[in-house]
Amino acid sequence: MSVEAAVRATGVCKHYGATEALRDLNLEVPAGAFFGLLGPNGSGKSTAIHLLTTLIAPTSGSARVAGHDVVRDGLAVRREIGLVFQEPALDAALTVQETLEFAGRLRSLSRATIAQRSEQLLALFQMQDKRGQRVGTLSGGTRRALDICRSLLHRPRILFLDEPTIGLDVPNRRRIWTHIHKLRRDEGTTVFLTTHYLEEAEDCDDVAFLANGRLIGGGRPSELIERLGRRMLEIEGENLGSVVSMLEPRLGPCLREEGRALFRIEDSDFDLKNALGPSVETLQSVRQRRPNLNDVFLWVNHPELAEAIAA
Amino acid sequence: MNLFPVFAVVERDLLRMLRHRGRLLSSFVRPMIWFLVIGAGIGALVAPTVPGSYQRFLVPGVLGMTMLFAAMLIALSVVYDKEFGVMRLLVTAPLPHYWIVLAKILSGTLLAMLQAAVILLLFALLGYLGPDLSPALLLLGCLGTALACASLGMTVAVWTSTLDNFAVVMNFVIFPVFFLSGALYPVQSLPPVLKLFATLNPFTYGVDVLKHACLGSEAVIAGADFSVALDLSVLFGFSALATFIACVRFSHETRLGLQGFLRGRS
Repeated sequence: MSVEAAVRATGVCKHYGATEALRDLNLEVPAGAFFGLLGPNGSGKSTAIHLLTTLIAPTSGSARVAGHDVVRDGLAVRREIGLVFQEPALDAALTVQETLEFAGRLRSLSRATIAQRSEQLLALFQMQDKRGQRVGTLSGGTRRALDICRSLLHRPRILFLDEPTIGLDVPNRRRIWTHIHKLRRDEGTTVFLTTHYLEEAEDCDDVAFLANGRLIGGGRPSELIERLGRRMLEIEGENLGSVVSMLEPRLGPCLREEGRALFRIEDSDFDLKNALGPSVETLQSVRQRRPNLNDVFLWVNHPELAEAIAA
Repeated sequence: MNLFPVFAVVERDLLRMLRHRGRLLSSFVRPMIWFLVIGAGIGALVAPTVPGSYQRFLVPGVLGMTMLFAAMLIALSVVYDKEFGVMRLLVTAPLPHYWIVLAKILSGTLLAMLQAAVILLLFALLGYLGPDLSPALLLLGCLGTALACASLGMTVAVWTSTLDNFAVVMNFVIFPVFFLSGALYPVQSLPPVLKLFATLNPFTYGVDVLKHACLGSEAVIAGADFSVALDLSVLFGFSALATFIACVRFSHETRLGLQGFLRGRS
């Protein structure tokens, strides 16, 4: 028996007038997975989330979430999902408790259920003492945590997180991720994440890269990183042209930015001093490090470089 | 259809009303200033021999004004919700989008009637409610007027996506609606052009039915201008039409991606 995918998009396009926000999006996220849709600002991530959460209709193509068509059966989709937006959707005039009650009542939960679940969620985020506090007086991190509690109150099968940690400091980010992972373990919730903090997506089961409204690649983060190379070489200097032309025959094409070049190293015997000789002295900085998902994205986003890793 | 979400919307608006104390106080002070100050001033001009008679005439108009402002505040809260993100919560809740419009109109109607009840109490305490008061018609008149104001406000709100725009629009709605309504003067004695506008203004019929309910046959300065049947038909007919337009427009707006406020921030 095949299990219905939590999210399935087939040939989805979205146009705003002449602007093509999404082009031929095809996605499949199995139930219970942790999926990341990654890309820079303006790449179409939010459009994709708005489409999958029934906030906008696709121009063409179709999408199913929790087994329901997002256009024809939007209500059924909305019943199954939880959603955390880029900016918290909270009323500053209400207290923490009232916010959760409002969110729960909107989803037709009984007062007893709301009380019991908000107790648990507030405990999870260590916010029990803030119950009577007005939302307007909470810090950014606490407000975000409350927004996440709000989205979880009805125990959604699929949780959509649109840049959930944007504007948060590191401790708060870490706390939020700890809780989301716990939730996945305990409840088996499918999590659909968009972010441009690519390091946050390294725990995903599967990621897809979006650039200018098009999917340009994806896969399991650990495999993508492994496939990219053993190490990354990052060099900085003023006239990199000659150095790059010396290194490219050995290391393959590099990613050039102003005053900076990034190479993949696959050969464990590679030695920069040997390869460059005295030219190494012209470099301002040299760094070798493990590749990360950010490097993968940069590589995939350049057609000529993408060919090199596909080969 | 389960009504929990509708109650949630109403309950939140009630909480917000009680929480914004300054706004709540001003919603009682504003009509009382009109009633006591404008009433006394113009009263001295139009009926100097019978003190208080113009104020008796003003009772229905000021009552209507209270409901007009209260209902517009709920419409304002819709625009506020669009601008500050709470609308996203509403449109992702598992209910058809036009239910949000219906819930907000219900909430505007209830809150307007609650505020009207407080103003009525003040009028009673000041001794301005006469023996001809008809409680049943008053209740029905308040319901019709509040409903018409709430649906008018919601129709404006679904077309506006920023608070700035709404403030501008409101100035072009509240004041003409109030001044061209027979709240301050009998419609029959207006010059022809103004009389035409007043006749086209649904709020006129709200004030008029309240005149029937508060003044009865005792025409203090002037009585009502239209029949109760016409008043109620216009009020409920207009409400139904405006509600329908607001629902259709809002559903359309959400299908387009909530236009400005979703796209502008993504």
